[in-house]
Amino acid sequence: MWQTFGFEFVNFYFIPGLVVGCIYALGAIGITLTFGILRFANFAHGEVMMIGAYFTWTVMTLVKNGLGFPIHPLVAAVPAIALAISLFIFVDRYFYKPFRSAPTIRVVMASFGMMLVIRSFVQSVWGPNQLTFVPGIARPNETVKSFTNSFDMMILMPNKHFWIIAGTFVIMLALSWLLTKTKIGKGMRAVSDSPELAKVSGIDVEIIIRATWIVGGFCAVAAGVFLVMDLQMLETTMGFRMLLPMFAAAILGGIGRPFGAVVGGLVIGLAEELSVYPWLGNGPLLSPGYKTGVAFAIMIVMLVLRPSGLFKGRLF
Amino acid sequence: MKTQIAAGLALCLMASAVQADVTIGNPMAQTGPIPDLVAPMVQAVDLAVDHVNSQGGMFAGGERLNIARADTGCDPVAGVDAVTKLINVSMVTGIVGPVCSGATIAQAESVSIPAGVVTLSVSASSPMITNMETGTDLVFRTAASDAYQGVALAELALAKGIKDIAVSYANDDYNAAIAGVFAEAYAKMGGTITANQAHEPNKASYRSEVATLGSGSDNLALFAYYGSSGITIMRNALETDAFSTFIGADGMLAQEVIDQIGAENLDKATFTTSTSDQTASGFNAWKTLADAAGIPAAGPFVPNSYDAAFLMALAIEKAGSADRSLIAGALRAVANAPGETILPGEFAKAKGILAAGGDIHYSGAAGPQDFDANGDVAGYFSANVVKNGVWEGKIIK
Repeated sequence: MWQTFGFEFVNFYFIPGLVVGCIYALGAIGITLTFGILRFANFAHGEVMMIGAYFTWTVMTLVKNGLGFPIHPLVAAVPAIALAISLFIFVDRYFYKPFRSAPTIRVVMASFGMMLVIRSFVQSVWGPNQLTFVPGIARPNETVKSFTNSFDMMILMPNKHFWIIAGTFVIMLALSWLLTKTKIGKGMRAVSDSPELAKVSGIDVEIIIRATWIVGGFCAVAAGVFLVMDLQMLETTMGFRMLLPMFAAAILGGIGRPFGAVVGGLVIGLAEELSVYPWLGNGPLLSPGYKTGVAFAIMIVMLVLRPSGLFKGRLF
Repeated sequence: MKTQIAAGLALCLMASAVQADVTIGNPMAQTGPIPDLVAPMVQAVDLAVDHVNSQGGMFAGGERLNIARADTGCDPVAGVDAVTKLINVSMVTGIVGPVCSGATIAQAESVSIPAGVVTLSVSASSPMITNMETGTDLVFRTAASDAYQGVALAELALAKGIKDIAVSYANDDYNAAIAGVFAEAYAKMGGTITANQAHEPNKASYRSEVATLGSGSDNLALFAYYGSSGITIMRNALETDAFSTFIGADGMLAQEVIDQIGAENLDKATFTTSTSDQTASGFNAWKTLADAAGIPAAGPFVPNSYDAAFLMALAIEKAGSADRSLIAGALRAVANAPGETILPGEFAKAKGILAAGGDIHYSGAAGPQDFDANGDVAGYFSANVVKNGVWEGKIIK
């Protein structure tokens, strides 16, 4: 049974879907928080993912050339996250804050502009070429391969996928603690539910907004770094490519619902990969050329049948 | 790279600031999925323009030839925008470019053909471009059609003993067209196509695609741009042992592929590209000039880019004015026989002959560059394999 069905299904469809789903999930958290708390669709989110990965690459390269030893991308991501969050806060202070009380469309357009500015900035500093994150190819982890093989269910997973799935899990736990147990997290949920009510109950909305950028920026850079760990290369439009599925994940989970975004991301990642599994006969169920359409088909069905999303998010 | 971009930006600014002389539009794909391939092509265009300006400039008055450059990002939509601006704002006499077939077809159909402006693409090789015009004669190219390259690739695969193959192609004008030509020729010559699927570019993972494709064969014919899906597919295929042998065409032929995947993993990868007949006098003249300028003379489509810019300048010189409607006829006159042979770099000589009322016949860096009725040229192809960490080409046709 495993040989005929499980082996291919798990290794070539389920695990890749899970990995992509984790990346969508982390990106969607930032989108859903900004959407819920600041009430606008932040188009520059994918670009922050991308520039965070470029910062990480730069830290890795500097350490390797300066100190002579390679460091793990997740270590290099720490200073990169700090830089990307500063960028987020800087952009908010000078480009989004002036539009805070203006109609939403203006700040959406401002974020669209920021998206192009950040991408062009990266292209002029780092160049439009792909950069290598980790050269070569990642073979499956031998220990896991032989261990699972002894149960007759061989699992092929390179180390990078363990890091991505475990990293997402840890970030999720930390986020859950932050949002339910800390004052700032409760404040974020309060502002998301009703900014006016939160304001009159003494919550400093500006501090909450800053916290939102910090949490969103952290998750965005984590998503960006996980994405380049998987792709092993960086490229200036990689954030933008991820933006639409991440929006789909945020809407699927319910706007303003971080855990919904996680579920949404995983559902969309898995649905994309599983839609091309040869469920009937030998050919893929759906031509892989139309894989991207699956995410949006799910999103549209969701918007029609249950516009508040799986977890009763905000309606606009 | 940084300095090149800065220089490119500075050039764009200069070009738009000076409008009095002759201006040709040059939409390229400096960003997008193949920036590595395009950078030397841009240098080749600049070199041709330098040669024109240093050898007496345009017309009797020695007017300056300017380049108005734009970036299409290899994308049809951005290509239409870029060429619209070049034609309507920069008021260019002709278009040298774009790079990618999708951008070339889109801009020709919706912008340059309606405006009556000649497009002379530097590298668009889709067979669809051959018959895209009805009643006009405005689209030319200095790169050979993939109608030939796809067949050459099928012959090469069978000669290598590849009896069965899976085909995966990116869903765009260039890759879908060459994949179609290849699959048809390969099947006709007796090979077996085990699977033939389109893939969507720009995805983070292609593991499920390679899994379904890989069940029938160890060999993959991959038609993609390296930057948008090619490298990721090869990596996913090697990681899961789905495929061991790869063949494909120009879009994959970049040093980037070796740097990313590692030469040790690419011992069974062969990609074809348009190339020059390296024994021809045109190529030798070009090689001397390119070496002096530090441009890779035999790089994919680099000689074709030089030829396109140089031919456009010759055509405008022949037409005697920057009038757009005269360019197509003049282009055929300077590129095709009869006339005295002009080699790359010989602008002053050509100018002298044209001024005296004579005919010229350009023999280019990439080949003879004689346009047929459809504005296509014949070409040569090379098969490239990794040797000592770089791509090494051998001419096949």
